[in-house]
Parts: sequence; C-alpha cells; structure tokens
Amino acid sequence: MERRDFCRLIGVGCAIGCAGGLAGCARALEWSQAQHAREGAQQRMAPPRAETPTAAPAEQSTATAVESEPPAPQRFPDLAVFTGTDPGDNVAAALTALGGMERFVGRGDRVLVKPNVLTARAPEYAATTNPQVVGALVRLAYEAGAAEVVVLDNPTAPPRQAFEVSGIGDAARTAGATVKVLTARNFERVRIPEGRVLTSWPLVTDVFESDVVINVPIAKTHGLAGLTMAMKNLMGIMGGTRGLVHQDFHQKIVDLNTLVRPHLVVLDAWRQLMANGPSGGSLADVRESRTVVVGTNQASVDAFGATLFGMQPSDLEYLRLAAEQGLGQTDLSALTIRKGTS
Amino acid sequence: MTRPRRGIHRHRRAFQLTFLALFLVLLTLTVWPLGSVYLGAFLAADPLIAANSVTNGAVLPIMALALVMIALPLVLGRAFCGYVCPLGTLIELTGGTHRASRLSPKTRERLRRLPVLVLVACLGLMLFATGSFLLIDPLSTVTRTATVLLYPALDRMLRLTGDVLYLAPFLRPAVDAATSIAAGRLIFSTPLVFGMQLFALALFAGILGLSWFEPRLWCRDVCPLGALLGTVGRGAIVGRRVDTAACIECGRCRQVCPLDAVGPDFHSTDTSRCQLGLECADVCPPNAISVGLRPAKDNPAPSRRAFLGVAAASLTAGFFAYAGLGRRGRDPRLVRPPGAAQEGALLALCSRCGQCMKTCPTNVIQPRGLDGGLLETFTPYMDFRVGSCDWSCNECGKVCPTGALTALPLAEKRKTRIGRAYIDRNRCIPWADGKTCLVCQELCPVPEKAIVITPAETRKPDGSTVAIGRPEVVAERCIGCGVCENVCPVPHRSAVEVFALGPDELDG
Repeated sequence: MERRDFCRLIGVGCAIGCAGGLAGCARALEWSQAQHAREGAQQRMAPPRAETPTAAPAEQSTATAVESEPPAPQRFPDLAVFTGTDPGDNVAAALTALGGMERFVGRGDRVLVKPNVLTARAPEYAATTNPQVVGALVRLAYEAGAAEVVVLDNPTAPPRQAFEVSGIGDAARTAGATVKVLTARNFERVRIPEGRVLTSWPLVTDVFESDVVINVPIAKTHGLAGLTMAMKNLMGIMGGTRGLVHQDFHQKIVDLNTLVRPHLVVLDAWRQLMANGPSGGSLADVRESRTVVVGTNQASVDAFGATLFGMQPSDLEYLRLAAEQGLGQTDLSALTIRKGTS
Repeated sequence: MTRPRRGIHRHRRAFQLTFLALFLVLLTLTVWPLGSVYLGAFLAADPLIAANSVTNGAVLPIMALALVMIALPLVLGRAFCGYVCPLGTLIELTGGTHRASRLSPKTRERLRRLPVLVLVACLGLMLFATGSFLLIDPLSTVTRTATVLLYPALDRMLRLTGDVLYLAPFLRPAVDAATSIAAGRLIFSTPLVFGMQLFALALFAGILGLSWFEPRLWCRDVCPLGALLGTVGRGAIVGRRVDTAACIECGRCRQVCPLDAVGPDFHSTDTSRCQLGLECADVCPPNAISVGLRPAKDNPAPSRRAFLGVAAASLTAGFFAYAGLGRRGRDPRLVRPPGAAQEGALLALCSRCGQCMKTCPTNVIQPRGLDGGLLETFTPYMDFRVGSCDWSCNECGKVCPTGALTALPLAEKRKTRIGRAYIDRNRCIPWADGKTCLVCQELCPVPEKAIVITPAETRKPDGSTVAIGRPEVVAERCIGCGVCENVCPVPHRSAVEVFALGPDELDG
C-alpha cells in the first residue's frame, strides 16, 4: 500500500469513526434522557439560608420553608425602601439598612443573581432590570466574600441579544460576574410538592445548586398579572413552553413561589413601566421613581411594590393567593419598613 | 529536469486557503450584533452581483470595488479565479487539478465556446429584472451553502459535544462558560433551522461534481462570474508571453496547463481562461515563458448562430419572467423582511446569498422554497413559527449586498409595516376554549400594543359562560413583526398569524 493511500485510509477511517462516535453519543444521551423522563420529576430543594442572623417574621415559617429562623440577636426591618441619585449607591444604602450583604452572602458562597431580562430593550424603556442595580449587587456580593456570582435569565429574545441590549450583560461582566446563557441542559424537571396547579416544571438547576439566590426584578405592569415584580420574575427560571403557564396564571405564580424562595429580593423601581408592560417600548410609559425596595420575602416586597403604582396588595390576585397560602406577609401595616434616601 | 520555481505563483495554494479562511471568518462574523467587519457588502465586489444591482437601479458605494475587479483581467487574467475565489478553491480541493478528462475532444471544444453564451444568458435575464441567475454566482453559492448547511451543522455538533462533556460533572463549568461565549455566535438558543437545505446541497454538490468530468470544468466553462471575467480577459494587455526564439516547441506547457489555455502553437494563450497559475513556466525546459505586455491570443469565439440563439432565448425567458407570465398569485403568507424592496425589485436584485438569514438572530428569515417558482427560490421571507422580527434589531438590511433589503435606521424599522396579524378565533385559547391567555399581548413589542385584551362574557364549549379577556388586533398599530405568532402557545399552527400586506397597504 502506498503511503498516500494509507494516509487517505486513516483519514476516512477517522472521519467515519468520529461521525459514528458522535451518533452513538447522541443516541446514548437520548436514551438516558428518556430514562430520566420515565423516573419523573426530580425533587429539589432550594439551599438553606446562609448562617447569618436574620429577623424573618414568624409567619414565614411553613412546613417546607427553606428559610431557617435562628434566634435573632439583631432586629432588621422587613423592608428597606430607598430613593437616591445613583441606582447602584441606592441599592447599597438600602441593603445596609437590612444588615448589609454580609447577612446573606458568606465567604466562598456561590451566588445567583436573577434579573428580569425579558427581551432585548435598552434600559431606558424599563422593560428590563436596571443594569447598574445588577452591577452593584454583583460587586456587593463579591465584597461580602462570594466565590462566584452568576447572572442568568431565560429571556424571550435570543439570550445574547437580550443581555447585550439591556446592558445587563456588560454591567454584570464589568463587576466580575459570569453571565450564563442557558441551554436545554441547564434545565431539569423539578417537582413542586406544594403546587396546587403547577406540580412540576423544567427549572434552571443553578437555582438549587447556588448557596444564595438574589431575585432582582423590575417593577412593571403586566396585562394578565396586573403587575410583574418579584413573584412573577421567577418565571424566568422556567424552561419548557412557558406560554402554557398563562392559563391559571396567578395560582401557577404562587405555586412556583412555594418551591423557590430567594434569599434576597431587590425590586428595582429606578424606572417603573407604568403602561404597556411588560415589554413597553415607549418612553412615555416610563416613570423615573429612583426607588429600590429590598426585602427577604417575595410577597412582602411585591406588596409594597403595588403601592408604587398606586395600587393595594389586595388588587393583585397572586398576592391574595400568596397570603392565603402563607407565603409571606402582604399586610403593609404588619411590616416594619425602613425608608430612606441615599 | 526541475528548476527551482520562482515567483509569487508558487504560493497559489496558500493564497487560496487564506482567502477561503478569510471568507469564512467574515461570514462567521456576519451575526448579530454586527461589528465593523463582516462579509455583507463585500459580496457587492462580485462584478456579476454589482452589475445586476446597477442594471436594476441599486447603487452602493462598495460597488467601486467591483469596478476594480472587472478591470483586473486586463492585466492579471482570471487570477481571481485561481487565487481568490472560495468556490474555486473548494472545487480544486475536492476535484484536483491534473486528472485526465472524461470528455471527448469534440465536447471539450464545444464547451470552450460556452462561457460567452452563459454570460449572454445572464445578461438577458438581468435586463429583464430576473435575478434567479445569481443562484449560480460562485460567491453567492458559497455564502448560501455555508449559511443553510455549515452553520446549522456546526451549531448541532457543538451542542452535542457540549451535551457529551456535560456528563462529566467537573467539566460542567467549562462547558457552561464555553456555551455562553459561543451563544448567539455559533450555538443558538434554539438550534438553527433552514428550509431548502437539500436544494442548496444539491446545487453545491452538482457544481463540485462537475469536476468528475474534468477538473475545474465548472470554473472554466460554466461559472457566470468566470465568464464575465474571461470576457474582459479577452482584451488582456498583460498576460503569458512566450519567447518564440527560445521556445523548443516541446508542448509541455500545453500538456500541464490545468485550464487548457495554451494554444496549439504553444505561443498563444486563451486569455479568457488563463488564471496566471504559471504552471507552464515552471515546466518550460528553456525557461521561455514569462508574464509580459501584449500576449499572443488564442480566444475561441462562439458561432454567430449559437450566440444569437442564446441571446434570443435568454431575452425571451427574461421577458417571460418579467411579464409575470410564470408567476402565480402571491402567497398571502409571503412576508418579506423589513426594508425589502417592492416585490418585483426584490426578485430582480436579491443575490440569493442568504446573508440576511445568516445574520438574523431569531432565525425568522428563511429561504423561500420552490413552491414560489424558480424566480422566488431562495429569496428571504419570514417564517414566524421559527422566529420573529426582533424590535431591537435591523441587521438584515445592513448585510444585504444588493439593495434588495435596505438598511433601515432602527427608529424607522420599528415603524415599518411588513405584514399584519390576524387572530384565528377558532383556535385562540380565550376565544375558543374560554381560558385565560395573553402571551401575544404580553410580548407585542410596539409601544402602544397592537394586541389589546378586551374583557368579555365568553361562551365556553360546554355552554357555560365565563368573564374573560380576549385578544384583538388593532390593525393601525400592527407592524407585522410576528412576535405574537411566534409565542402563541397553541401548538403547531399559531392562533394568530401574520399575513402579507396588499400592494396598496405597503406605503400606508
């Protein structure tokens, strides 16, 4: 055999081998996924809160509540509502009133930041979380000792586009975070034991693998939900055909919130989208409120958020359901609220 | 006897591979968001595409490059074909250069006269605003084939490789990081899909397959761009020159020429074929071959009958297409991308290169299938079940090398109506099933939403009634971006569909 023929044979052999190997792997993956699906949804639990003193209200405690309540040596307010001149400084000031980032993030923690990156919109349109708010949270988390901060969302536009146009990608990376673009392999069907309608759904696995989850929604109107803030923002960790969630919408939002309870909730209302939400598109619908609402309970933060739109918590169906199911205090008079300016 | 080869032609293969790599790099960069370097209008440097655009009334500044390209054969022969053309490189890499021909001498002699006829046929179609001939333009062909075949295949292979590596837990952070970097560039949130893949493959394989008859048969005798450059090459001022005093008439040059461009007397050259590869010079025993002024020419001319016949046929075909005799009624779902020229102009101008499809971040721009006739084949249209026209993107117009799509400023694009959404009340969830849903309204991107939710007492199929919000389209606000059709949770066929505008609506 000539050298040339030999080389050719080797080349063709390698090509066929690679193709065959890849095909084999594809089949093996398919098979393993089928096995996985047969076994059904996984039971996953959000990680417990970091071992720092908290002052969570007693009524948060439910059978599977992930928020452990060690005795509180220091009393923190339930909510901190701050207005200011710089979105980043404002968040830092509000967080300080709540005990600082150190209360939530310990040394070496893996932190997940979940902003609202609905679609590709410039920040001025208030359809996506303010990038400066996201950047400030990433920085504070690192200062508190976080080992890694991951920023992720499952946008409706192509993810790279959504992250770049909204400015969140840039802000997060500048602050040192990893912006994670999700693909199918980042989702796993998870059981929602307390779900009344929504009993399982493919969710981002990172939520359950991180030590600290920080939810950073933006305050917007929404045709079906009324307002979209913290509780609704968790829809961004859902995979699958999300359009199907919109039947029995309110109950499903609450169901998801029974399973996933972020450790820190930062409602960005630097700009509020007052109409034509959640995607907006007109600057006329944007109101600059220069406000941030920080808390540890999704329902409580949303309850206050409703007032930013001149509404009552009881105007929102999902907040009514959340209160009824013991997800958090939505009665504003029962909450300690620290207001301030930065 | 071998002599050390001298001259730049020794590096011909290196030139070819470099330009092929450059072409693919530029095409890979033709993706959202466009930086300052991408393929785009470079394709207008192709004189065939530029000539077609100019004939049909679209002039871009980049077309000055095409003027250079078209003048080049006067001094360099068809060096473009032998040194630069990516399709030529691929043909050489797959089909070789020096294999014996499978064609009879008579057929070869006939084929020699073909290029002029190919060019005449193209000109006939060009004059009558029929851009279909650009389907076989070499640069357009490479771009199109890579867009619908190479990048989707790459997307899937990278995805699969990632899936396999993901099985090892310690590799997951690395895979996630790599995926985030490649996302939207090589790996897409939903795998890239394109129609007409088999068509593109068949065309490409057919072109490469012509090498079976004879290496580079395509380049020499069929390629319309080659024919154009070759026709200019007939008037070459500089070319292969033989020192007749030194020539021993051994005939090695004629034997070795891969393009069969050496005349029977060994002194003359077919300057419409010569690519200045100068393999003849390398083998010439007395070293009598060089490049110089006023080369002796041996250019074949087609018979007058064939010339007139093809001219008449192509003009008839062009007229036939122009007059719309071959076109059926317009497909109501044929929505063109924003910035598209009027239908007739688009069909005349479009280079069928698929760059708009390559750069579209949502994959909504798809090649039109054969059901629209050969004239519409591979022109861009919007398939809203695959994607939707993103409100913050206007890239497709920027990459178009022809003016078939105009680059619209974002503010203008956001107001450009390309279609109109209609709700199918028989399939829409609130209308038909009496259940809540508003995904179309939720994501409608126009500032004042074009889909409104009207509360109404709805009769459910079981006879009971329920108070529910039902979506309706406000026609004046709808721009036809298709987000609603894309996100509608009704499976397979959306309950809200975007239809093309009528001719009178386009301006309004």
